[in-house]
Amino acid sequence: MIPLENFLILSGFLFAVGLYGVLARRSAILILMSVELMLAGVAINFAAFAAYLDVDGFSGMIFALFVITVAAAEVGLALGIVLRLFRERRTSYVDAANTLKW
Amino acid sequence: MDLNFRYELLAPEIAVAVTAVLVMFADAFRNELNLKRNLLPQISLLGLAVALVFSLMLGNVSDDFARLVQIDEFTTFFRVLFIAVTLILIIGSHEYIDRHVNHIGEFYGLLLFSTVGAMLMAGARDLITAYLAIEVLSFSLYVAVSLSKNDPRSGEAALKYVLLGGVASAMLLYGLSFIYGVTGSTQYSEISAALSAGNVDFETALILGLVLVIAGLGFKASAVPFHMWTPDAYEGAPIPITAYLSATSKAATFALFLRWFAGPLLPAIDHWQWILALLSVITMVVGNLVALQQHNIKRLLAYSSIGQVGFMLMCITAISEQTGSALLLHLVGYLITNLAIFMAIIAFYNRTGKEEINQFKGLAQTNPYLALVITSGLFSLAGMPLLAGFVTKFILFQSVVSAGYLWLVIVALVASTVSLYYYLQVIKQMYLYQPEDDGNGSNHRWNLTVTGYLSTGILFIGVVWVGVYATPFYEFADKAIAPLFA
Repeated sequence: MIPLENFLILSGFLFAVGLYGVLARRSAILILMSVELMLAGVAINFAAFAAYLDVDGFSGMIFALFVITVAAAEVGLALGIVLRLFRERRTSYVDAANTLKW
Repeated sequence: MDLNFRYELLAPEIAVAVTAVLVMFADAFRNELNLKRNLLPQISLLGLAVALVFSLMLGNVSDDFARLVQIDEFTTFFRVLFIAVTLILIIGSHEYIDRHVNHIGEFYGLLLFSTVGAMLMAGARDLITAYLAIEVLSFSLYVAVSLSKNDPRSGEAALKYVLLGGVASAMLLYGLSFIYGVTGSTQYSEISAALSAGNVDFETALILGLVLVIAGLGFKASAVPFHMWTPDAYEGAPIPITAYLSATSKAATFALFLRWFAGPLLPAIDHWQWILALLSVITMVVGNLVALQQHNIKRLLAYSSIGQVGFMLMCITAISEQTGSALLLHLVGYLITNLAIFMAIIAFYNRTGKEEINQFKGLAQTNPYLALVITSGLFSLAGMPLLAGFVTKFILFQSVVSAGYLWLVIVALVASTVSLYYYLQVIKQMYLYQPEDDGNGSNHRWNLTVTGYLSTGILFIGVVWVGVYATPFYEFADKAIAPLFA
């Protein structure tokens, strides 16, 4: 059986890559994709913990399912907002969102 | 396992959610059915009033719904608070919403849905419920922030809010997954049992989880250094949503703070107490200092609310039954005060379309009543005697001192004194300057609408009432906090 640590390393890696992407990317779409990566890491974490530590219960698996569903909803919603910004400024780069400062 | 599916326990949430759907359908078929635009706020108010009655009827119940939602005095307290906030908000701002908001049907629907999310946040007794409730509240607000009509700041504010909010949720969830991994359950009671049994030997994972959870919640409550979205979202959002963000959204996050840090996470207090103490100090200091240089009233109130969050975090740091009830009382006082100011600003904006601080010049002459409401609100936030802010802050500071955190309170007192300066800036504009004449009669006397008088009047009376005779509120808060420490 694959040890639990491997899953945790995978999820930690996904989360870290996502966090890096959020900080380094300037396109709103790519930032959203990076957030998705972070949430994928979270879902793996929940599923792995559920399979290894909480054998009688399903709450971790259910949590993972909800994370995936809510993540999908979040992307749909955020894309709508990006679209609104794109209509106004003809770009999806977050650097263009600079009228509000301090 | 026997689960208890008594749906009547969730009657207030169900009533508000059904109203939200009704409002959106009424808006969609408005032309076909020849409905008036005014019908939408009326349906919303009716639904909220029904929900308020339901929550009061459930006031003495202590039960749980399917081990997911806990119904007790604490939940009732926040249900009543959140429903009352939305009620007042709709009464005071329906004219603004009619004129300055895109898609008013969706707007009312989102307001009601976010109220449902806030109520469930206070009632959750399982991490999954809590997470879903947080997202119901946040998602509704992401969209509502972007609904301002003809205002390019609105879309930008929503984009910043949704991107940073997504990252914060991901951090919160990653933290929760570690807490779940360490304790093996998502139920508050079982997490608490597992942590206090002391057989948790993954200390690093627990600390990592706690840090991430605090970061995620700190974002929702806009604690420094996770506050960067707050001023932008506050400035770009339609003013009712700014009021809502500073009231319900904040109070709901603190309801969750109380539920988590006085419940499941209490056994790990040694690991998180110092983080929250640090967070509270930075938040008080930075929030109040940056507020000094603001020139937009919404931005000023954003930073002032960040400062207030610092005061509230002190209570979570020094968590006990006493500080908990002081926090609830302070939340009531803060919500009433903040809403009073925002309702007055909405009335002012309806008339003038202005929101810069130096455009409040001479308001004491053109509308002395409104100037009085704003002044008493700002003085209350600063903590002047005879107003709500003084009593609630006094009790809050006192409880934190008696819990042994004198140094925190000293910082808070200094920060609180600083805050008086920028509140007085606004008051100075209203009272010491002549109104500017732009040729359109902007220096003439004017009156509010009936609903404007109603909403500001109720809140003004509330500010004075809590300030002069806070005993009933104090007893209510005392009763509400009891189940958490039972």
